[in-house]
Amino acid sequence: MKVLAAGVVPLLLVLHWKHGAGSPLPITPVNATCVTRHPCHSNLMNQIKNQLVQLNSSANALFILYYTAQGEPFPNNLDKLCSPNVTDFPPFHANGTEKARLVELYRIIAYLGASLGNITRDQKILNPNALSLHSKLNATADIMRGLLSNVLCRLCSKYHVGHVEVAYGPDTSGKDVFQKKKLGCQLLGKYKQVIAVLAQAF
Amino acid sequence: MALFAVVQAAFLLTLLSFRTYQSEVLSEPLPWTPESLEVSINSAQQCLYLQWRVHNLTHHQELKMVFQIEISRIETSNVIWVENYSIPVTWNQVLHWSWESKLPLECVTHFVRIRSLVADASIPEPRFWSNWSSWEEVDAQKSLGQDPLFVFPKDKLVEEGSNVTICYVSRSPESNISCAMEDVPIHGKRLSPNVSVFILNDVRFIRETGTNIYCLNPSNMSGIILYVSKVLEEPKDFSCETQDLKSLNCTWDPGHDTTLRHQSSQRYTLFESFSGKTKLCEHKKWCHWQVAPDSQETYNLTLTAENQLRRRSVSILFNLTHRVHPMKPFNVFLKSISATNATMTWKVHPVGNYSTLLCQVALHGEGKVIQHNVSVKVKSQYFLSELEPVTEYVTRVRCAAANHFWKWSEWIGQTFTTLEAAPSEAPDVWRNVKSVLGSHIVTLFWRPLSKSHAHGKILFYNVVIENLDKPSSVKLLSIPAPANGTELTLDQCSYQIHVTANNSVGTSPASIIVISRDPGNKNVEEGRIQGTEDGFSLSWKPQSGDVIGYVVDWYPQDPRCQLQWKNLDPNTTSTVIRSDAFRPGIRYNFRIYEISTERIAYLLEKKTGYAQELAPSENPQVAVSNLTSHSFSLSWKDYSTDSQSSFIQGYHVYLKPKEEQCHPGFEKVVLSDDSVCCQYKIDNPEQKTFVVENLQPESFYEFLVTPYTSVGEGPHDAFTKVTIPDEYSHVLIRIILPMIFCLLLLMVLCYLTSQWMKEKCYPDIPDPYKSSVLSLIKYKENHHPTIMNVNDCVPDAIEVVNKLEGSKIQFLGARKSLTEMEFTKPAYLYLLPTENYSGPGPCICFENFTYNQAASDSGSCGHVPVLLKTPPSQLALLTSPENLLKTLEQNYVNSSGGSPAGETSLNYVSQLASHMSGDKDSLPTNPPGPALCSEYRTQMAVSLGLASPSPSENSSLSSVTLLDQGEPRR
Repeated sequence: MKVLAAGVVPLLLVLHWKHGAGSPLPITPVNATCVTRHPCHSNLMNQIKNQLVQLNSSANALFILYYTAQGEPFPNNLDKLCSPNVTDFPPFHANGTEKARLVELYRIIAYLGASLGNITRDQKILNPNALSLHSKLNATADIMRGLLSNVLCRLCSKYHVGHVEVAYGPDTSGKDVFQKKKLGCQLLGKYKQVIAVLAQAF
Repeated sequence: MALFAVVQAAFLLTLLSFRTYQSEVLSEPLPWTPESLEVSINSAQQCLYLQWRVHNLTHHQELKMVFQIEISRIETSNVIWVENYSIPVTWNQVLHWSWESKLPLECVTHFVRIRSLVADASIPEPRFWSNWSSWEEVDAQKSLGQDPLFVFPKDKLVEEGSNVTICYVSRSPESNISCAMEDVPIHGKRLSPNVSVFILNDVRFIRETGTNIYCLNPSNMSGIILYVSKVLEEPKDFSCETQDLKSLNCTWDPGHDTTLRHQSSQRYTLFESFSGKTKLCEHKKWCHWQVAPDSQETYNLTLTAENQLRRRSVSILFNLTHRVHPMKPFNVFLKSISATNATMTWKVHPVGNYSTLLCQVALHGEGKVIQHNVSVKVKSQYFLSELEPVTEYVTRVRCAAANHFWKWSEWIGQTFTTLEAAPSEAPDVWRNVKSVLGSHIVTLFWRPLSKSHAHGKILFYNVVIENLDKPSSVKLLSIPAPANGTELTLDQCSYQIHVTANNSVGTSPASIIVISRDPGNKNVEEGRIQGTEDGFSLSWKPQSGDVIGYVVDWYPQDPRCQLQWKNLDPNTTSTVIRSDAFRPGIRYNFRIYEISTERIAYLLEKKTGYAQELAPSENPQVAVSNLTSHSFSLSWKDYSTDSQSSFIQGYHVYLKPKEEQCHPGFEKVVLSDDSVCCQYKIDNPEQKTFVVENLQPESFYEFLVTPYTSVGEGPHDAFTKVTIPDEYSHVLIRIILPMIFCLLLLMVLCYLTSQWMKEKCYPDIPDPYKSSVLSLIKYKENHHPTIMNVNDCVPDAIEVVNKLEGSKIQFLGARKSLTEMEFTKPAYLYLLPTENYSGPGPCICFENFTYNQAASDSGSCGHVPVLLKTPPSQLALLTSPENLLKTLEQNYVNSSGGSPAGETSLNYVSQLASHMSGDKDSLPTNPPGPALCSEYRTQMAVSLGLASPSPSENSSLSSVTLLDQGEPRR
């Protein structure tokens, strides 16, 4: 109860008062200090662009590897099993300011990174012999971690944003195996779709 | 009647009251009725879990009860399962029961009810079932999500070969839902508008990651993964043994691995019934069991294999001491190794109190294995005897329990080599003797000793030559190995030769051969022998009965191959010589010797033959000679009949006929290529010449000479062509050749003569550029090597020779005789440079190419006007044109015929050619002819084109014109 009184109630009050209540708080107050652990690279935006391009170039191959490894009916029923209708996926507005776009990018990459972690964990159990898929999933997750760090660095150094609230996808650990495969396929289909937009936007 | 009615009424009332009482008693609930029934679902295992209580049990009361459970599906009236569950029930106990549904519980609604019966002996009969509990409805579909389509059961694990029921649940009643298993459509039965059931019979294992089963409608798809595992097998070959009586090592064959991905694997446990101990094994094929320290001897071990679906067990009962499998021995050494003996020692690990082990020693060597058994406490040794010298042996040892044999330990071994010993046998020696110029060339051959006889590495062979005629004369030769023979030159004496083989330890017995001074029977004729697949069969007649053996030696015709021999017993008179070295088409020569008691070899017979005769592979090289118009000779004397692949029986001479008839002696044959030839047969293989006669002159013949043997003749390869000359060609050659020679000689002579004639009659005109004068000028002026400087000019002189009288002058141009003129003395015209002369005047210019070129360069002295300086009288003569003309006419007199003295003439005298100018007498012999004058003009014309004009050019031209008047220019 103390926790509720101390944390949730003020939060609800704030949410009610503020415009756009319900969305996570994206930005650290302007006067708050934002410190990065290491100095950011001078050519940070280029690095972010290159990482997005790199992810975009490998997204389709990852998608194909995934649904091929699941066996039938996945390869022949992509529309039903792998359609990119992920409900709580973070939005992205390509016509926003750089700051807004970076914040949204951060949320998307955080979402995707967590989901890729779930997929990698599941696939190592469900398809232990699909080594190329595991390798590709790990490589993608590595790039995403680097991208996340760079985006945060950019937000912090230029816009003094030190914290962005993020949302994650559903945990698949309690799902049945077929559902795990299906959710993974949907997520990778969504990833392939979104990363193309992101690579174009930056 | 009334009484009857009263009694009847009373009876009925009594009965009614009893029934009422009974009904009241029965309608009361029994005191041990099941209550608080709760039903739940385990979707993973597709089980219904029931739990309930039985009230009214007193404290510490325990009753044996039977519970009857009914399960209905879809509706309560559709009872699908009834089961009686017996269990002793205590106070306040929560009872559990589960039921596994074949149909996934999510597919349809289930109903459950329960009732009880006391079956305890403490409760007297009659026993009645309690009332049913109310139906408990189990509807799993209520807890499903909002997805439009579901398939059940999720992630079910079944054994291979079992039957599986699946179903789909659709949120809306649809008829166009299809299902498939790994792309293979499956067909089911519709239970309700939203539910269909599919029964999969005898499912097979497809992969460890499960089998995909899915259902789809036009907009959605859902599926499950069915895990099909192999059936867990009973462990095979379960066995336990000990190495040290402290622990047991149990092993087994697990059979199929039933492990699936995403599912836990099978596990194994050991249970010992006497001690009651259990151990979960870490490995699938073996497990360690610690032996109890209380000296338990008998063990009853049960191995249980278990997975999620099945459990299998196997047990063994054994005495620990009967399962001793000792560790392999250690510290294996070999000592006291000699040529034939060695001692092996080893140690064994102690096995509790059973320290007596049975050990087996195995000796491997020379392709044989010898085994011995030894009883061992802790340390033991074994003496290995009767070994072969210089032989590598492998000795191994293993042990087992002596009292209760179970298993041998692993082998442990050592390798050793015995030492060398002296060779045990004399080398097998043979010889070949040639008599050359009063001496014997003896070639000794010996075979290397076999390994079993050499007893080590043979280092050298000793050859002792003992002169039997001079016993004191002994010669020793030491031939280093691996030589297998030597050559000796002996005189005509008898010799005894001892050959011994030596290694590092000692010497072999000697092999003795005697070379007699008498070479023996030299006149043994050579017979022929035919080899077979088995070899050459030889037989002979013994000549003397006192022999110690026979030797057959042989060698192929090829001198590169070495002599071979075979020793035979004295009673043998025939043998078959077999050798892998025998080759078809090679001639082998055999000699049979008898060995006398004095060890002297006497030649008995000589044979020669082929293991297999082959047709000749090539024909002789035939030379054609004595070619005449009617015959020619063929010769193939270089063809060796002994070195062929079979015995040559003769030759066939083939001649392609020009006519239908063959020549006398030839017969017509058809060759393999269907061509017709004339064949002449030569029966004597040593006849290697043949004369082909009766030929037609100026014709063309083709011939072939090929040997023939018992297995065929040589190849019919290219025929040699011969052209027969005509009869007169040799005569013509005898005439024409000398004529050609003479003609050539004549041509050479003519050529030489023409050269001489040319030199004498038409010598070459010297080229001024190649004149030696140029080199002289070069020394004087280097900058104008080809130009004569004006200052250096030496005036030429024209010598006017006065013809005394009657001289006949002939003009140069018209070659006509001029009027004879008389001169009293010679007069001279000098050709001088015109230093002050500028206008035209009488002058004479001799145009020389060299001079003109110089003049053009210098701008003066181009055409030298003639100034008559001295003497005045002569000048006067030349002042008038007429006189000058006369003078000139006189000067150009051809004096080839000789000018008489006193005749006046005008001669050009070169100052450079002093010998010419100074020799007046020579002038008549080489007068300047008209042709020379013409050549000068030609040179002038060329040089003018090249040189610049000079002021005196006109005057010079006028002078030339004057000179040319008498003769047209050619």
